[in-house]
Amino acid sequence: MPLTVVERWGVMMGMDVMPPLEPAGISRVRVGTSGYSYPEWVNAGFYPAGTRSGRMLPLYAQQFSAAELNYTWYQMPKAVAIDRMRRQVPPHFRFAVKLTRTMTHEVDRDQWRGQVARYRDGVAPLALAGQLAAVLLQLPASFERTRPRRHYLAALLEELAGLPLAVEFRHVSWATDRVFAELENRRVALVAVDAPALPYLFPPLEVVTSPDLFYVRFHGRNLAGWRSGNMQQQFDYAYGAAELQEWAETRIAAMAGRSRRGLVFFNNHVRAQAPANARQLMAMLAHQGLPEDASWSDTSSTST
Amino acid sequence: MERHVIHINVADFAVAVERAMDRRLRERPVVIAPDGVSRAVVYDMSEEAYQAGVRKGMALRRAVRLCPDVRILPPHPSRYEQVMQALVRQALPYSPLIEPGEADGHLFVDVTGTSRLFGPPVDVAWRLRRQAWTELSLAPGWAVAPNKLVAKVATRLVKPDGDAIVRAGDEARFLVPVPLHLVPGIEHRDLVRLGGFNLRRAGQVASLSRDALQAPFGRRAFHLFDVVRGIDRSPVRPVGHQPPRVVTAHTFEEDAHAVPVVEGALYGLVEKAGQVLRRQSLAAGRVMVTVDFSDGLRGARQRSLRPATANDMALFETARSVLHMAWRRRVRIRHLRLMCDRLTFPPAQRELFPSAADADRRQTCLVSALDRIRQRFGTDAIKVGRTLAA
Repeated sequence: MPLTVVERWGVMMGMDVMPPLEPAGISRVRVGTSGYSYPEWVNAGFYPAGTRSGRMLPLYAQQFSAAELNYTWYQMPKAVAIDRMRRQVPPHFRFAVKLTRTMTHEVDRDQWRGQVARYRDGVAPLALAGQLAAVLLQLPASFERTRPRRHYLAALLEELAGLPLAVEFRHVSWATDRVFAELENRRVALVAVDAPALPYLFPPLEVVTSPDLFYVRFHGRNLAGWRSGNMQQQFDYAYGAAELQEWAETRIAAMAGRSRRGLVFFNNHVRAQAPANARQLMAMLAHQGLPEDASWSDTSSTST
Repeated sequence: MERHVIHINVADFAVAVERAMDRRLRERPVVIAPDGVSRAVVYDMSEEAYQAGVRKGMALRRAVRLCPDVRILPPHPSRYEQVMQALVRQALPYSPLIEPGEADGHLFVDVTGTSRLFGPPVDVAWRLRRQAWTELSLAPGWAVAPNKLVAKVATRLVKPDGDAIVRAGDEARFLVPVPLHLVPGIEHRDLVRLGGFNLRRAGQVASLSRDALQAPFGRRAFHLFDVVRGIDRSPVRPVGHQPPRVVTAHTFEEDAHAVPVVEGALYGLVEKAGQVLRRQSLAAGRVMVTVDFSDGLRGARQRSLRPATANDMALFETARSVLHMAWRRRVRIRHLRLMCDRLTFPPAQRELFPSAADADRRQTCLVSALDRIRQRFGTDAIKVGRTLAA
């Protein structure tokens, strides 16, 4: 029987790590948001009035079973802080942790391997606890498919091997079968993206490259905002029911059939549109037999 | 509301500015020191020079011995000022609350409550850093923290160009391992005192109660108690809003070393500052004297005035003692600067004892008479003998 991602990580680290068994009835697709600590979500009513940032994660974990950590793109994760976060959520909660910019956007030829080592140390508490669902490598729109970049990406994936990896391309040049085949070969998930339809952006494909994981990110379809350079405009979008329905019924359903676990995150965080859309999608997935457990305290009630 | 304060810190600012203008200076040791001065000292240096043992205030000759291939550049204060203004301009779109340091590459930006407009504070910090790099060729370190104190400690820890995020509620925990000399607000004499008790890190001091601190530190214990826990309520001031103060300065035609000459010049500065204060019906609660020596080194000291005063004689008495605290070296002085701040309305409390009250009254009358004469006949119509030496 092939080893799971966490088992392989454990073997690689020379540790006897067994992945914790998921309680019966918990679905394989987890839906959440990209980041959870937004003060504006208090005003938008997602968090109760007066919620301080330090209290947001436990409240978030009452509603969602996974979160994508975005701050790690800005700052290298530190084991102490990550462990503190881990202890704020139930054991069934999972984290997808974005790779730090020093390995994706601001790469120093001589330093990046050291950065990978630091990153591994930072996320180790999650990996050890079996709560690291994915490491997200988000590559910039300027990261076009060229020979040196292909080599760099291969070396980076090699260096990160053993961790559950997902790669998000922004540039369209990576949308080729050869790339997908290589990712499949490495059992690395290709991130399916929903973003504005711009010719240079990676298209929304439901290609599954890893039997262990599929990964979807919803960035919103605000075309004007995407070009503005202002994050608040870029991710200001509310998905309509029809748009989500299309993803739930066709794409996510298809991907779920080809991979054992799935992660879906909404990045349209402005005015707390992301958690609202995430809840909508969860309801749709539950309706079609892919339930998402929002409340881990009562797992039996959510199994359908 | 939780505050989000960004601190931008360009390490070795003077060198960084010079390097941004001249790429050849990169990756080689650079020292900033006054030109053509026999006993010049180091004003700023690059990391390479620092690694070789060069320190601020070190004699230039010694610096050159330690680091023979060093490139020596004269200070260009106007350049630093210009780059500082450019840094402020870059931050302006994000917040009206921007507090720059004095041409030292430090900048606080309070982005509290702006996330609906500009996104998470950490993203704003990263953008500021990126702009500094793309537009000014500077690579500052940055930090986001709930207040100025913690943000400043954070950038000091990640020097020269790292980044740090400290979340609300994590301030005290963040400071636990930090050496006390890196914590702003802990002065040299506090450090010496704390060192005497073998207290070297913020966490060690934070483990003491207010009462325990009060025994050796008196009233200062309250300040120390807060500082080591990362408590700082000071606001980031709006751009261009400096705390109210009166500043006067004098540059000697020839660098001065004679005490009467320097004191005479200081008295002249006191008179000017006093006049400004009295015209606004204000009194100064503190005076600060800065002396720039001919070798480029600077000395600065300050002292509180109790009670606050605008009387030339009372101001001078304190200013003179502060001058001699700042002027501990046997080196000529090029430039003298007097700053009066903590401005308040003059205290209404009169002296209790008749003799003191009488002296006080006479001094006030004398200064008022001088003011009246000068108003009528011009500033130079009457002079205090002491100022003739300057």
